[in-house]
Parts: sequence; C-alpha cells; structure tokens
Amino acid sequence: MKSKINGIVILALMVTAGCSSRSAVTAPEAGRSQAPSPKISSPVAQTVTSPTVLPTASPNVSVPSSPASSSGYGFDQWQNGPLGDVFFEFDSTVLTADAQSQLKQNAAWLDNNSANKALIEGHCDSRGTSEYNMALGERRASTAKEYLVRLGIASLRLETVSFGEERPFDSGKGENAWAKNRRAHFLMK
Amino acid sequence: MQFFRYIVAVVMIVLCFPLPLFAAEGGEYIAIRKEGSGKIALAINKLDTPVKDESRLAQRLDAIIHDGLDFTGLFTMISPPLNVKDNSNRVNFGALDSVGAAVYADGSVSNTSGTVILDMEVYDTAGAKLLLKKTYNGNQLQLRKIGYAFCADLVELLTGKKSIFGSKIVFVSNKTGFKEIYECDFDGHELRQLTNSHSISLTPALSPDGRYLAYTDFSSGRPALYIKNLSNGRLSTIGKSGISIDPGWRNSREVATTLSFEGDQEIYLIKADGAIARRLTFSKGIDLSPSFSPDGNKMAYVSDRNGLPQIFIEDLSSGQVNRLTFSGRYNTQPSWSPAGDKIAYTTWESGGEINIFVTGIDGSGLKQLTEKSGENESPSWSPDGRMIVFTSTRQGSKKMYIMGSTGENQRPLLPSEGEQMQPCWSLFCQ
Repeated sequence: MKSKINGIVILALMVTAGCSSRSAVTAPEAGRSQAPSPKISSPVAQTVTSPTVLPTASPNVSVPSSPASSSGYGFDQWQNGPLGDVFFEFDSTVLTADAQSQLKQNAAWLDNNSANKALIEGHCDSRGTSEYNMALGERRASTAKEYLVRLGIASLRLETVSFGEERPFDSGKGENAWAKNRRAHFLMK
Repeated sequence: MQFFRYIVAVVMIVLCFPLPLFAAEGGEYIAIRKEGSGKIALAINKLDTPVKDESRLAQRLDAIIHDGLDFTGLFTMISPPLNVKDNSNRVNFGALDSVGAAVYADGSVSNTSGTVILDMEVYDTAGAKLLLKKTYNGNQLQLRKIGYAFCADLVELLTGKKSIFGSKIVFVSNKTGFKEIYECDFDGHELRQLTNSHSISLTPALSPDGRYLAYTDFSSGRPALYIKNLSNGRLSTIGKSGISIDPGWRNSREVATTLSFEGDQEIYLIKADGAIARRLTFSKGIDLSPSFSPDGNKMAYVSDRNGLPQIFIEDLSSGQVNRLTFSGRYNTQPSWSPAGDKIAYTTWESGGEINIFVTGIDGSGLKQLTEKSGENESPSWSPDGRMIVFTSTRQGSKKMYIMGSTGENQRPLLPSEGEQMQPCWSLFCQ
C-alpha cells in the first residue's frame, strides 16, 4: 500500500470489492471486481471489525477427501474470509487484471492487520496429470505471494503450499467448475 | 522347432539366477530363447496326486500355474492330448508334437504333514529332452508362492531373462476416503495397505532392491517426501521448507524428487536417510518427475522451460540436457524401461484424452499404446520390460490396467473399490 491514509476508507473499499468478487462464485472467469463503491455494508463490515471470528481452518485437519458439491473444500473460507481468492486461466500462472485487483485488496487488508499471517494454497482443476498440477499449484501460490511482497507485505507473513488437483473447490466437470478450482486460496494463520 | 534356434547352456541360467529357497534336484537345464513375437506353445498336464484327497490341492495349484503363465503373455496354452502318457506312463512326445506343443510340463503334488511338495518336469517336445526337473515346497498357505516359483523358473529357462513372478506393484487408492498407498502382487493378488495417514499420500516409488518406499504425504500440511524403510518401518524425511513432488529412485541408495525450498522447483538427489546429495536441475520453472536409466547415468524428467511441459533427458555426468518429446503440447510422466532403450510417457491430447506413448531414448520409434479410452496415465514397466501397468478411466472410475509393452492385451488388473492411481511396478522379484 502506498498510503496509509484513513484506514476505514481503505477497509470499506476492500470490503465492498471483496463482496463483488465473492458474488461471482459461479463464474469467476467472467469480469468481476467492478469499481468498488465506498459504501459499507454492515454484515461484511462486522466480519472485518471482528477478526477473532474469522475461520482459521488448518488444511490438514479433517478435510473431506473428495468434496461432492459446490460447497466443497475452501467454500466457507472463501465466502467469509477477508482475503479473497484469485483465479487463473487454464494451465497458467499469470495474474490477470482481476487477480491483481484482488491481490491489491488482500494486500490492503494485510497491511492494516499486521499481526495476521496468511497461508496461500495453490489449486488446479482436475485436467492434465496430477504431478504436474502439484507443481503448477505451487507456482500459482508463489506467484500470488510474490505480487503481495512487491506490494510491501513481508515475505515472512506469507506461506505457500500446493494442493494440486487434490482439493477441488467444485468437483464437477466443465469450465464452470474448473474455473473455480484454478485458484490461489487464502487462509488466515 | 523354430523357437529353439538359440540354445544356451544351463550354466548361464544358474549363474544369473541363483535358485530360490526351494531345494532342487539337479537336472539338465537348457535355456530356450523365444524368437520374434511368436508365443511359446506350452502344454501343461494336470498335476498328479499320490493320494485322492489331495486332488483339490492339485486343482488349485493347476489353476495358479496356468493363470500365472497365461498372465505373462508369453505362452499359447495348449491342452495336452488325451494320449499324452502311454501305457507305461511315459510321455508321448509324438502326440504332443502333433498338437503343436513345443514345451511340455508335467508334475505331481503331495501334502506331507502340512508341507506341500510340488515336483515338476519340463521337456522340449521336439527332442524329447528334459529341460528342468525341480522340487518346490512350502506350507498350504503358500500355494501361490510355490506355483509362482515354478512359473518363474520356467520363464527364465525359456527366455533367458528374469520373470515378473515375485514382483510387486505399489499404487494409490482412495477407497477408505483418503488417498493411501497400497501394495499388491504383479497380478493384483495379496492386496496390502502401506500407509494410514488419513491425509493425502501420493506417488509411491519402491527402491530397486525393495527395501525402501518413497512417497509424498500431506500429514504435515504440505506435500513432503517420506522414505520408509520397509523392514523396520522407520520414516525419513527432509528438513527443508517448501514442497516435495513425485520421487523416482536412481538406485537403491538415492532417490530424486522435486523440492522448492530454494524458491524455484528443481530436482534434487536425496540419500535414503533424507540428506540432500546434490541438485540436478538448474532451469527456471517446473522440473518434475525424475525417471532414471538402469545405469543411473541419465535422468528423464518433465520441464516447462519452453512454456509447456515436455520431457527432457539429462546426462548426469556431463550435465548436458536434450529434449526428448516434440509431438504433443503436454507430455508428462516419463518412465524409463528396465532394458534402458525406451521411455514411456503420457500425452494430454487436445480432445481431453490422455494417452500413453513409448519412444526410443533418442526420440525414434515413437509408438502410441492407448487410444479412444479416456484418460490413460502413469505408465510403469514390469521388471522384465514386457508389460506396462497404467491407469485408465475407460470404464468410468480410474483403475489400474496392464498391457504388453507394445500396447497389446490391455485388461484391468485389480477389481477393488475406489479409484486407483499412480502405480509403480517394482524392479525386484522376491
């Protein structure tokens, strides 16, 4: 973050933009993150002002091995967490404009919550071979991390891991499901 | 007989393949090497039993031996003619020759206070020549082992190479709800669960001597390399940050895997105790899935240094790297053949299929082994190089299949619930 002016405005920007991207759950590849409106919607503001209730799920604790529905692994965290997921094109680790926009919002939140650390999980859709997807997932996570570090977030606050194609957000087939699975997923630590 | 053009003295067999625990009565051994792609015409007579009560035992051993030899794909199984024995119980080689049998096996089984004793004799029918005479024994729970010991001797005798009998396949299955590592015999029997981490265990690889199992496991929250000593159960791991993906053994003391602790994903050579021996790759981007030539001097692996995943070969002494694959946009999962002359790998095709290909190590002689059958992945060679185990979604759920090394005779291996993934065929035969 370049400026640390009025934290509440930054928060408001971040929060509402987070809202709009979350509403695009079913089609994250479609244009999302419209110009954020500087209006605080109370339920989300509540989430931000009460960081103690944020989910802090650990990835290795009782995670279903094959989520069967669209409320699969990562759904709750993505819906409720202050750090939004970023999505990737097929077989790509390049940060799209939408991804960069989301990462800027994540950076703003981390900048204002310097006690928090984040775990960035890289995920892939189920196509291709699983070993390569494990590598691709890690590159997605580390690409997101590098972007945040360039925005001034301390490298030590950001851990990365890859789940490859092992923990799909949506276990369905087709681009709609696959697009949701090609992501860097953020967890609070 | 055309199959018998090459006759090698038995001394070679004895030197190359020390006989197993079962004491053998000496006979005259002759190795007969099959020529061309033809199969060996084999007639096996039903096992004799001195006592009538043991006919069930004989039937079970008959089936084990017949199915085992049939599995190898080396034989045409011919029913012995009714007059295979004459009135004096001598083998009627003329009758065998007339039904086209090149090799004839005959034997008897008895059960002496819990010890099963199998006496076998094998003949070259053309010359009425005894090729093998040997006794095998074990307890009643070891019938498969007893039968396969004979099968192993017969295949080695007739081909001059070691067989698949006694080899193991390790693989991943999610049948408990978690991806865990399992082991089975080469033919799918004797299924055994090897990990129970309730996490995600992936990419098992057995060391060439069978002492160690290397695999990737998420128990710590991230994919880490584990090396399990199978004799005492001890686990070694690498105390490095970052992740680990897809190990492959260079020899029985060194395993290579991708690590990211230095930032980029590179392949490193690791000792069996988890210590890093040296770094093998130095290119930016993904370097993955090491598979070594039998002498350990060369490594095939996947790299996306040109943008898309392709297979490269690195000479470990000179450091020289050559690209192996040029057709297909997405080539992964290299597997170096035990004879050293071929590499199997998978291509993800534009239509969504994944298919298995085999190529010479200089890129010549490219051959497609699977087609129009969904996703066919993770090829791994049998220790004799004659077969390949792989996974396929051709019947829906991902399961293990077996085929000949040129793609013939593709069939399911193990009817078991859950998905089966990432099979690795051992180099050893126990």
